[in-house]
Amino acid sequence: MEKIVIVIIEDQREVLEAIARDLATFEDTFMIEECDSADEAGELMETLDSEGDYVALIISDHIMPGKSGVDFLIEMNEDPRFESTKKILLTGLATHQDTINAINNAAIDRYIEKPWNQTNLINYVKELITDYILKKGIDYTPYVHHLNQTTLLNKLRNNP
Amino acid sequence: MGSQSDLKKVLKIVAILLVPILIALLPTSWMPLENLTTTEHRVIALFVMAALFWILEPIPIYATSILIIVLELVVLSDKGIVWLKGEGDDFGILMSYKEIMATMASPIILLFLGGFFLAMAATKYRLDQNLARVLLSPFGNKPQWVMMGLMLITAIFSMFMSNTATTAMMLSLLVPVLASFESGSKIRTAFALSIPMAANIGGIGTPIGTPPNALALKYLNGSDYISFGQWMSFGVPFVLVALIISWVLILFFYPMKNIEINLSIKGKFLKTPKALIVYATFILTVLLWLTDFIHGMNSYVVAMIPVAVFLSFNIITKEDIKKISWDVLWLVSGGIALGLALDKTGLAAHIINAIPFGELSAYLVIALASFVAALMANFMSNTATANLLLPLIAALGTSMPALQDLGGSKVIILGVALSASLGLALPISTPPNALAHATGEIETKDMAKLGVIMCFIGLGLVFLLLTILKLVNFV
Repeated sequence: MEKIVIVIIEDQREVLEAIARDLATFEDTFMIEECDSADEAGELMETLDSEGDYVALIISDHIMPGKSGVDFLIEMNEDPRFESTKKILLTGLATHQDTINAINNAAIDRYIEKPWNQTNLINYVKELITDYILKKGIDYTPYVHHLNQTTLLNKLRNNP
Repeated sequence: MGSQSDLKKVLKIVAILLVPILIALLPTSWMPLENLTTTEHRVIALFVMAALFWILEPIPIYATSILIIVLELVVLSDKGIVWLKGEGDDFGILMSYKEIMATMASPIILLFLGGFFLAMAATKYRLDQNLARVLLSPFGNKPQWVMMGLMLITAIFSMFMSNTATTAMMLSLLVPVLASFESGSKIRTAFALSIPMAANIGGIGTPIGTPPNALALKYLNGSDYISFGQWMSFGVPFVLVALIISWVLILFFYPMKNIEINLSIKGKFLKTPKALIVYATFILTVLLWLTDFIHGMNSYVVAMIPVAVFLSFNIITKEDIKKISWDVLWLVSGGIALGLALDKTGLAAHIINAIPFGELSAYLVIALASFVAALMANFMSNTATANLLLPLIAALGTSMPALQDLGGSKVIILGVALSASLGLALPISTPPNALAHATGEIETKDMAKLGVIMCFIGLGLVFLLLTILKLVNFV
């Protein structure tokens, strides 16, 4: 079966691990992929796409060696294959201009400032993945316990 | 995890397929029915496949329905594979391919389509939410009365909308309010239990309330015909009584004292021309459904009127049409097609004649059939339950002499159809139960305790209703 994937991009090893640890609750249901650069993530996205997996969510840092997080997210936003993929920018070092760019050109869904709060992060991930699953028309029933109830109920009342 | 679970899935499908394939390959003379024809033999294999697939769900239930239709076209129709055709009495009867395909546009499918259009328009123009707001206001803020109000509104809505959509709407209003109470408190459990209960029960109220009701109409032809209004005349009182009993039970299990609950629903009635057309069409359609004895249009014909109106005024758009629950319609079509095969090949009558029902008490047969329906509905889809049971029950109703004294097909078909809505006990029983369970407010044991009790009370009410219908000479 196709997998639903969360991609995390962060150049600092310990931070990357901390994010993954905070999202460990999703591990059994979704596939969590860790990348330490935007280029690695780009290659990963190609592989996942060719295997027919669903990249539901990208959580990316901004300042990284090589391509910046915002630039990578803009690329993803413009790629029709990842049109529905949700995007979180998780950074402590974005300038005003970077932020504007992230909202207007990368159409990010959430902006989280470092240090982040685990509960908030988990809630955002739930909301966005719920949105993604419903938008993609994937059968939501196997995932129901990891979905945001409000998002799910609002969608189902209009479109059971 | 991926490839391993894929492999498991494939193995499951293969294992399940082996049984009907084996049945199909056995020599016809080995089957435990005398003078079985080849086509009847094929229908047995098809029926076993349908039952296994609907119960174990190796593929989605609506896919099973389409599979039934396609298999019938290929191996049981007059335009099927030429090498599978035969002649003579031993071979039996092939069905007309047109008749099989017509199950996808059968009058009861179109009745449901009309219902979907009404529900979609009502949701789109927020008639549902605004009605809920107005109807809820007289119930104040004492939790037991608010719960009664919510249950009534849920039940009324689920008579015309899908039980799932109604539950989703009511829970989405309720969940934020419940969050303000201490987690794990009884009030949260009680309210989260009340909504799916009311939605499941409410579906009994009208022919379009839930697919098993419409399927029952399919088998109630000729002198057994029941109009929309006639159905409501016993369905609505049934719903009210069952609702009040379940309300009392919930309050008994989860007493609530000295608290207030404030449920505020935002919004105002829309007054745009389109919204007014929606209100008027809704009222007109229901009135036409209730007054067929005056104008002569049956419920199926009336159901097409809102479809035309909403499309003409662009109230339901091209995009909206794509959102219609085709899966529900096709799930029902498959059931009709299965019933058609059982009927046309003569298998249903053949099986029923082979079983010595004559010696059994008619009361026992009705009780048993209803109990089996309720039991199955707790573990699988209500519609699939009705799909499997109703064709057999309909044949039984016409061929069992002892049943005739109690009302014949009508009484046993109604018994089974109503009991198919009593899947109340488990999160997997119905989509409303699953949604309520997913809110995290209810544990399975809460749902099971209330659900099992209500299931038995519901069965009691079904028998009471059938008795009353008999007393007033309705059946």
